[in-house]
Amino acid sequence: MRRLPRRRRTGLSRLSIYLRGRWWAVAALVAVATGQAAAQTGGWLLVRAAIDNGIIKNDQHYLAVIVIIYLAVGGAGWVLSGILIRGLAGIGQGIVLGLRRDLFDHLTSLSLRYFSEQRAGWIIARLTSDVDALSDALSQGLPTLAANVVLLPTAVAAVFLVDWRLGLIAFIILPPALVLTRWFQRQSSVAQLEVRNHISAVTAQLAESVSGMAIVQAFGRERAFQAEFGELNIANRSANVRTQTLLSVFFPSIELLGMASTAAVLVLGAHLYSDGSITIGTLITAVYLLQLVFQPLQELSDVYGQMQSAAAAMIKVTSVLDAEPDIGDRPGAPPMPAIDGRLELDGVRFSYGSNEVLHGIDATVTAGGCLALVGQSGGGKSTLAKLIARFYDPSDGAVRVDGADLRDVLLGSYRRQLGVVLQDPFLFSGTIADNIRFARPDASDQQVRETAAAIGVDRVAARLHGGLDHVVREGGAGLSAGERQLISIARALLADPRILILDEATSNIDRPTEVLIERALDRLLHGRTSVIIAHRLATVRRADEILVVERGVVVQRGSERQLLSVDGPFRRLAHDLAGATGAVPSP
Amino acid sequence: MLPTLRRLLSLWREQGRWVALGLVCALAYTTLSLAIPALIQRAIDRAIVPGHSSRLWPYVVAILALSLIRFGVNFTRRSATARIGVHIEARMRELLYDAYLSFPRAFFDRHSTGQVVSRATNDLYPIRYFIGWGMVQGAQSAMMIVGAGIVLTLVNPRLALYTGLSMPLIGLVAWLFAHRVMPISRLVQTRKGDVTEAADEAVVGIEMVQAFGREDDVRERFGDKAGEVRAVVLRQAGIEARHLPGLYFLPGLSIAAVVFFGGRDVIAGQLSIGQFVLFNTILLQLAWPLESLGWITNLAQRALASAGRSFAWIDGVDRLPEPATPQSLAAGPQPIAFQGVHFAYGDEDEVLRGLDLDVRAGEIVAVCGATGSGKTTVLNLLPRFYDPTAGRLLLGGIDARDLPVADLRAAVSVVTQKPVLFSVPLRDNLTIGRPGATWDEVLAASRAAGVDAFVDDLPDGYDTLIGERGVNLSGGQRQRVALARALLREGGVIVMDDPLSAVDTTTERSLLATVRPALAGRTVVIATQRLSTVALADRAVVLRDGRVVESGSPATLIAAGGEFAALFGDETVAA
Repeated sequence: MRRLPRRRRTGLSRLSIYLRGRWWAVAALVAVATGQAAAQTGGWLLVRAAIDNGIIKNDQHYLAVIVIIYLAVGGAGWVLSGILIRGLAGIGQGIVLGLRRDLFDHLTSLSLRYFSEQRAGWIIARLTSDVDALSDALSQGLPTLAANVVLLPTAVAAVFLVDWRLGLIAFIILPPALVLTRWFQRQSSVAQLEVRNHISAVTAQLAESVSGMAIVQAFGRERAFQAEFGELNIANRSANVRTQTLLSVFFPSIELLGMASTAAVLVLGAHLYSDGSITIGTLITAVYLLQLVFQPLQELSDVYGQMQSAAAAMIKVTSVLDAEPDIGDRPGAPPMPAIDGRLELDGVRFSYGSNEVLHGIDATVTAGGCLALVGQSGGGKSTLAKLIARFYDPSDGAVRVDGADLRDVLLGSYRRQLGVVLQDPFLFSGTIADNIRFARPDASDQQVRETAAAIGVDRVAARLHGGLDHVVREGGAGLSAGERQLISIARALLADPRILILDEATSNIDRPTEVLIERALDRLLHGRTSVIIAHRLATVRRADEILVVERGVVVQRGSERQLLSVDGPFRRLAHDLAGATGAVPSP
Repeated sequence: MLPTLRRLLSLWREQGRWVALGLVCALAYTTLSLAIPALIQRAIDRAIVPGHSSRLWPYVVAILALSLIRFGVNFTRRSATARIGVHIEARMRELLYDAYLSFPRAFFDRHSTGQVVSRATNDLYPIRYFIGWGMVQGAQSAMMIVGAGIVLTLVNPRLALYTGLSMPLIGLVAWLFAHRVMPISRLVQTRKGDVTEAADEAVVGIEMVQAFGREDDVRERFGDKAGEVRAVVLRQAGIEARHLPGLYFLPGLSIAAVVFFGGRDVIAGQLSIGQFVLFNTILLQLAWPLESLGWITNLAQRALASAGRSFAWIDGVDRLPEPATPQSLAAGPQPIAFQGVHFAYGDEDEVLRGLDLDVRAGEIVAVCGATGSGKTTVLNLLPRFYDPTAGRLLLGGIDARDLPVADLRAAVSVVTQKPVLFSVPLRDNLTIGRPGATWDEVLAASRAAGVDAFVDDLPDGYDTLIGERGVNLSGGQRQRVALARALLREGGVIVMDDPLSAVDTTTERSLLATVRPALAGRTVVIATQRLSTVALADRAVVLRDGRVVESGSPATLIAAGGEFAALFGDETVAA
């Protein structure tokens, strides 16, 4: 995969790596922006020429020529401005696409440890709303920024060009205008943040009421929710009114400063004109050029907030980009050869942070054998299974397959020979058939149908509209946990793995589905090395060896018969395991 | 269209004083904005050009004074109109929220949460900007255009005609732009939504992706979606590039006309230099009002469409009908009777097909059946989340539809399978159905439902904030809170949908012993797929094809070897 250079830059400047090879385009657009600003200011210089040399000197021919040039310059400015908008969007979106892909590639290479430490929602927000904030700033903000950053000095330079004394007015009016703009930017970004907080409180309450409406109504809590919502709504309204009042100050202020500069030009210009040191054309042009100095201030203050939130977004994005993948390939690691299936756990220890959860586990599974892990939740069974899939590396000891330490072979080559069935399997959007085909996208329809039939998914599908082509809704809603697990078993069977890790589903399985699952497992486990986190007695019976794992150690091991014959933890567990499938409780 | 407009206008009139203030300011702003250039013209013609510097001062002072007044007027107009918009937005949101609270369950089945939420948030923004900013700005723009037309015509009608000719193009370009960019920017939002979906799926399903080594597939899929976003954003930029520069450079056409035709008039002595400046200034000042009319026209279309959708919900969605002659329900446990009940969700196939079921007062009945057999539907009819499409449901001998909805729901407590908890402290989640409960009662319910077993592990015990911003409870813990919440209520009926499905088996065992006595003195209907939960019940019934096919005590049903035995399997005998 492509790796980002490990430069620890967190700000927007880090985005410059995506401009590699496109600097000529950036240079060209700087030239275009300059040309466009020159067209805007140059128009007024032409007006001056028209007044002084055409109108005052009664030269109609000259006047006509100047007007034609003026129109040509305006037309050129029009075209350049269009090129600037389109060109900057091209560059900006190139950056956004590069960043989004790199961020996603990097994320998918991070270990499960990262995903268990960060909430899914947080990670997704980095890929979406943060990158979108950058995208908005780059595609909408950048053209405005570029055009006005160039226009402001060009306009000031043009006033100086017509007369340096009138140019000084720009220098007197500009500092207070800049201070005002800066003050306004600060205030408005604080105010906008407050507004955002208020509206997100309103949205959160609204979303919570809507998704919990059944309970709100069933418990007769409409009044209380109405009151709570009313308060948030009013608070949001007040925050908005405050912010809007603040925003209402800025533009009239800039307008006022513009009029002050006009008045100054009139006073100073009248003096200079009566001296004969400037022409009337110069005086008039200076009035308009000074207005052109103020226009960028208004537009730049619009962009400022956008740039600020883009910078904030970039800092968060960077924190993801800089997370080091802690599971990776050792340099020069060979690929895993075709797996025979002998699995060894050798003194395996594992810690989450400083908290050790596995304290030295030893086990051996022969090729094609079945190992069952039982024990109460939180004892370390799932962690052990994750180490075997190499989602984590052990902090001490080793996991070996056919004698090879998993850390010494290419991760991808191992995982492609591995199958995993999770307790509450996640289904991807698409049809049931797509989900079965997930691990082997090249499988034919015929193979998918056969696999589905072998596992009994076809019987689940028969209940649904469209059969195997039934489109699964978000995460598999509408299907029961047992049905989702059946689909995921079919997925594993089609992948035809050499080693299989299975976490049995516990809840909400009706008996017919359960029977299907058991038959499916018979089919799936046959001839493969398997590790099962078992919640049912029926499953435990399949195992060649059972490990009872509690508090990170193996407290008992042996076959089902051996374990049941002694009074130990397994007997107690066996009672509960039976309960899970629904033994009639003794009254 | 018209009724929507009428309703919007009535909301506008609620803000009457501010609207009036805004309009007065708009008129004052227009007058001042025309007076100031006129003063500048006089200053040039009467003081500067003749070289009478001393005559200049009164003009300059007047210009500055009027500018200062205009500053105040402009500020007042802006804040007044913004206020109107913000208030109307809040009002619309309140109307929608109140409506949501009274909508029946079927409404929320048909519309996604996202859609319902955005109708009361993002969808309101066009309304806010149109009603707040748009209407008054539109009035001001119209005044400015008329006023400028009058002033320029008074000065020089022929020149006014030549120079004003190209100005309406600005409004047209603005309107065209808004009209063309709107569908594309909606498309951009859709494409961004696709990216979110792809990201969401890959992140939530990362374990599967990595386990099967499918990283390259999802990367390619995500890259494609991200590429589509870029493509539509660039299309949008293309539209911007074709329209927006026009807004900057179109006024140049009028300036060129002033310079050429006005210049000739100056040469011919028909126009003063000051008037020449006046023409330029006022034409430049007209650019924004014309542009804004283009924006406002488009905004009006969107605001009316959006308001139309909102009012269609507020006025058009049928509420749950209240009885014409309400009966009253006695306190205490009530018998329940389903008599020939049929039910279908929307136009789907019938789920219940003539269900008959009698539950005695104080009896606990477990409803069993395969996935999709209608267990949850049976429970949903009791609190009138839905009404039967045929047949009737009696509570205490009274048709549920003849009871006031509030009374019925006060009598029936609900435990859903995926419990809904709110982002408030645990204590408030427990007392939500009975805010007046004493602390001892809360503790008793918490003990019975097994909440006390984990409450000490929470950072603030019963005061721990639940939810996104607080502590995320596990599925089993949430179910126990939901159970305690229902036990705490006073109603005589409880309906529970697999209330312990996410609780581990060891905990379930100990819970059953404490829940059973807590249910005493109430009529209880439990839907479940776990035999261990069936043990709570006096009697079990089995649903198939929307009817009750078996009924009896769990032990008899097992012995009978029928549907019930098939559901829970032969392992029942094994242990």
